[in-house]
Amino acid sequence: MKILGISAHYHDSAAALVVDGLPVCAVQEERLSRRKHDAGFPLSAIEWCLDHAGLQPDDLDAVVFYERSMLKFERILTCALRAFPRSWSSFPHAIKNSLGEKVWVRGIISSQLGVPRKKILCTAHHASHAAAAFLTAPTRRAAIITADGVGEWATLTVGHGERKADGSTDITLLREIRFPHSLGMLYSTFTAFLGFNVNEDEYKVMGLAGYGQPTMMDQIGQVIRRTPDGAFALVPDYFEFQTTAGRSYSAKFVELFGPPRKPFDPIDPDTSDGRRFADCAASVQRVLEDTLVDLARTLHAETGLTDLCLGGGVALNGLANARILAESGFERVFVPSAPGDAGCALGAALYADRLYFKNPDREIPDHPFWGPAVDAKELARVASEDSQSVEELDEPALIDRIADELAAGKIVGWMDGASEFGPRALGHRSILAAPHAREMRDRLNRDIKYREDFRPFAPVTPIETADRYFELPPGGARLARFMSGVFPVRPEWRSKLAAITHVDGTARLQALERPMAPRLYALLEAYGRRSGVPVLLNTSFNVAGEPIVNRALEGYSTFRRCGIDALVAGQVVVTKRQGGQA
Amino acid sequence: MLRPVHRWIWSDFDRRVRKLLLFAEVETDGGRDILRAAEVPPDPLLRRLYLEHAIDELRHGDLFRERGAALLQSSGPRHRTFFSGTPLPGGHGLDDLRVEGEPDHRLLAFLHVAEKAAASRFTIYRECVDDDPPTKAIFEQILRDEVFHMNYTYTQLARVSPESYRWQVWRARASRLWNRYLRLAAAIADLIGGAILTVMYFVLLPPFAWMARRAERRTPPGWTPISREHQDSLTSQY
Repeated sequence: MKILGISAHYHDSAAALVVDGLPVCAVQEERLSRRKHDAGFPLSAIEWCLDHAGLQPDDLDAVVFYERSMLKFERILTCALRAFPRSWSSFPHAIKNSLGEKVWVRGIISSQLGVPRKKILCTAHHASHAAAAFLTAPTRRAAIITADGVGEWATLTVGHGERKADGSTDITLLREIRFPHSLGMLYSTFTAFLGFNVNEDEYKVMGLAGYGQPTMMDQIGQVIRRTPDGAFALVPDYFEFQTTAGRSYSAKFVELFGPPRKPFDPIDPDTSDGRRFADCAASVQRVLEDTLVDLARTLHAETGLTDLCLGGGVALNGLANARILAESGFERVFVPSAPGDAGCALGAALYADRLYFKNPDREIPDHPFWGPAVDAKELARVASEDSQSVEELDEPALIDRIADELAAGKIVGWMDGASEFGPRALGHRSILAAPHAREMRDRLNRDIKYREDFRPFAPVTPIETADRYFELPPGGARLARFMSGVFPVRPEWRSKLAAITHVDGTARLQALERPMAPRLYALLEAYGRRSGVPVLLNTSFNVAGEPIVNRALEGYSTFRRCGIDALVAGQVVVTKRQGGQA
Repeated sequence: MLRPVHRWIWSDFDRRVRKLLLFAEVETDGGRDILRAAEVPPDPLLRRLYLEHAIDELRHGDLFRERGAALLQSSGPRHRTFFSGTPLPGGHGLDDLRVEGEPDHRLLAFLHVAEKAAASRFTIYRECVDDDPPTKAIFEQILRDEVFHMNYTYTQLARVSPESYRWQVWRARASRLWNRYLRLAAAIADLIGGAILTVMYFVLLPPFAWMARRAERRTPPGWTPISREHQDSLTSQY
């Protein structure tokens, strides 16, 4: 059975193809269109998936959209009605936005792909998240929590999933918290308040939190309160996201937390405003963590299960994930490589396969590499045409050569095989560097990534040695498989791993198993033999504002215009000729 | 003809900052589009030139952004909540630029006409900011780059399409005019649609708004059970 999953129209559009119960490929539209967080209908991603599998649209048994667009429209309309007459200015925009394209998704899919409408199905948004989290995780039974800004009405759901002995699969979502009460929207409101872009820069709030203290818990307690049944509710007076798309927080919110940060102001934690912003970030981060831990603890007590699957954009919060693992009672926490809306494309397809068509369960390969593969020959051709230094080396020589470069303080663009599905670079589209000196972090921020000084970089290390450098709780290595947890760097190693140790002594670790990315694993070993520490700084292969590179040519053009010293694709190594950047 | 309008726009501090930040977005987005072009063509010379062009545009974006930010920071408390939500309008700089499947001559003609238009606008803006030497210096620097962009696109157009390069430029101009007309028509339609929806909002919605609020009061916050049938039904969009 061939099932195409699609997510689109909000942010991070994507397509994923499931054939006979197994994912064949999945890719975000942004990787192909080169527009970050591309929310358009993912035609390029769909075409690539079909081409990759050698299928025509007629061959598909079903096309599954990741949410119910009419139910979402109902929520938008209801919220506008509830806010009458304050919603008068946002109403026309909201209606035009929805009626222009979003509610006609079935017709759009049918006309774009030429498939009959009866083949087009829709899952609930959070059911897609739940399926993406549970059906890709190597577990038989698990509790499930999904949390994001908002789907149709739900902003957070809890439930459980089971792979039964007879091969059937069950996902039961028990209950939900509904818009406007949303942890994701709370976090996004603070993202806007701190001068960052909503739906893009939430991870900057998490980075900034490390510089602050949670001194504003009382104030945040006024904008979010717990309900008697153990859920939570936002106090509407402090928010405006439910009535207008233009502003997230109200004047009352500003009275409580002070003036918002201007987007172009530098953040200096040594100034009083800088401290206030960092404290705001630390406080909302703490509230998010406390609430999620409490919800997870309750779910653990209710289900008695040992495994938890987390889905939704909130599951990208590595600090919260690590605390859930440590404090909720669950022994293992699984977060997929794409827990956000892009991952819903895969989740929707898998949900339809297992629960709608009732196909037997199949074990899904436990890796994130479902995207287009890199073409090393293309890199060699283009770099040669530009008179760059191009070498083609056999595997041992290449690993030794790159390990030498890294040990010498060089920065390497690393492309290997199929690209990652999800927002993290997990070793196939990465920029790698030595993790030891703080200057390396500053150089990367300044010359390569062009991003804010306060943002940390992540480390990658073989799973066998992870515990030597990082304080991993039981189950921590699993959470670190797709860089989904933030853990303390052991104090004795912090000065030796200064480029990846955040100001609060933590790091968002990737613990690598050899079978997942054998070439990167070999490189880590080789680097370890040279430096004594098999840890590398691993950041996504892109510059600020651009999607992660996909093809060799995109890696090459990024290499040409920033301070990367060497570029690797397959067996090809390119170094800059004298004269530097383009 | 529009110089007095431009002078009026640039004379105001808020509008000046807004313009600079808007230009930053437009130049950066345009740079990314051209970067995309640099990753497509098989012609190595064009690829190199596009890459250089893209780097220039991205740098222009940074120059505008830094200047806008510097002006914002120099402003007093009057401007503190100037940008409280999404700071910048959306939109892509070269939103008509379709890289994939476009032949080189069409892309070059498009870029040539776009650069020429940008250069003439920036020349006017440079004159409007005589009172602001740092901003004027940015326009001067960018204008120098625009001359290079205009020249290389024209030279390369003549190289890749020696028989018809003049015709391609005219065609690009006509296409630009047509797209302007389409944008204007879409804006007018948007305005009319907005007006009709606003009238409907005040005329038709009040009773439904009353009912929606009444229903909301009856729904306490907290957990809501999820119906199994609803979760399992994949044929409904509701």
